[in-house]
Amino acid sequence: MAYQLYRNTTLGNSLQESLDELIQTQQITPQLALQVLLQFDKAINTALANRVRNRVNFKGSLNTYRFCDNVWTFVLNDVEFREVTDLVKVDKVKIVACDGKSE
Amino acid sequence: MQSKVMDDFRKSSINSSNFVLQLPANYQQTEPELSASISIPASQSNGLPAKNNSETLATFSLPAALAYPVQIPAGVTLQTASGQLYKVNVPVVVTQAPASRPTQREAPAPRPPPGPSNPRLHQETEPASFAAQTHTSLPMIPESDLPHPTYESEITLGEDEASPSQEPVNASPLTQLLNFQISTERALKETVPSRDIDEILKEVIEEESEKARKLSAGSTDNQPDADLGLDLDYAYSQLSELVQLDGPSDNSEEDEEIPQDENDFLGFINAEAIKALQDENISNDSNSISSSDEDPVELTNVEEEDPLNSGDDVVEQDIPDLFDTENVIVCQYDKIHRSKNRWKFHLKDGVMSYGGKDHVFSKAVGEAEW
Repeated sequence: MAYQLYRNTTLGNSLQESLDELIQTQQITPQLALQVLLQFDKAINTALANRVRNRVNFKGSLNTYRFCDNVWTFVLNDVEFREVTDLVKVDKVKIVACDGKSE
Repeated sequence: MQSKVMDDFRKSSINSSNFVLQLPANYQQTEPELSASISIPASQSNGLPAKNNSETLATFSLPAALAYPVQIPAGVTLQTASGQLYKVNVPVVVTQAPASRPTQREAPAPRPPPGPSNPRLHQETEPASFAAQTHTSLPMIPESDLPHPTYESEITLGEDEASPSQEPVNASPLTQLLNFQISTERALKETVPSRDIDEILKEVIEEESEKARKLSAGSTDNQPDADLGLDLDYAYSQLSELVQLDGPSDNSEEDEEIPQDENDFLGFINAEAIKALQDENISNDSNSISSSDEDPVELTNVEEEDPLNSGDDVVEQDIPDLFDTENVIVCQYDKIHRSKNRWKFHLKDGVMSYGGKDHVFSKAVGEAEW
């Protein structure tokens, strides 16, 4: 079972909103919407694992850290994300990371 | 009318030697009915102005042979109706006043006759004869016996040490109801100071004359009671001089008790004050109020401390807003490392959204200092 972690991304949120509208108009059933989301989870996990090959570095100050249910949640302040091409500075960023170790 | 002397005597279990002389109120009428008679020393020539009742000694079963005048030997312990005991150290002669009030009680001489008590009352006609007859029934005690007091069988014993103060006691109370308790215990213990007979006689005569004057002055029934009351008060005052080790007069406990009461009271006040404060200041933290054990005077300080303490809750507001950021990175972690306050992140397969743009990474390494 793939992580449902990526549903809270721009892409995932957009999908969910669309599905909710379809449910409201009763064009689809909620069960169908759920199946759609599950399919989305599988697809995004596979794509990130296979179709992405870049590396990012970041550096900043740690405001908070949380580890619960094997999920890390950080809040960083004044973070610089450095990628090969460009540099982005952010005042505040939240990082949610699930356990990536394979079983 | 039956005599009550023996009744009391039977009831009293104090001492077998004790006997109660109770003068009925209507003794004058019951005189003839009286069975017992008080033995009176034959030596009526003691000089007492009182008449001498030359009755033989008999068991003391009642109030005074009440053939007035009634003479009671010295050292008799008289008990009034109120229960007060008076020791008469001198022979008491109870005479019937012209107003049909027998009275006259002689001032006691400082010579309590010792000796075992017995139900018999021995009368001494001689004022100086403090030593009473023996209980074995000596009808009379001649004056010659006075010089050497017979301590053995003395009838009258003064249980009450306040006998000298009994002078003011008039015979009128005696007329109503007088319980004469005679015990020989005291008599045995007490020693009769040696005196000259002549001196004793003089004293007794003087006292008796005073008594007579007192009685002639007209004494009401209440007076003797008042006198008795005075005596009672006097005795009570003596008792009050005793050191009180406990009770309200104890000063040692005052300091301890007061603070305890105050603490309890304060605790009570705190509950009420706290409630009032809570009603007034709803916004204030209840934690500080409930945890304070301060006096009501200091409650105002607690109130001031609340806003001060609220300054410690700075982080609380930031927590809900802290996680509501648009810049979110959703990824997976390979390894999270920390050394003291330095954190290192090894992340993979992440989707980043920041600066209004989304980014993806297969691998991300980061460092942050907490």
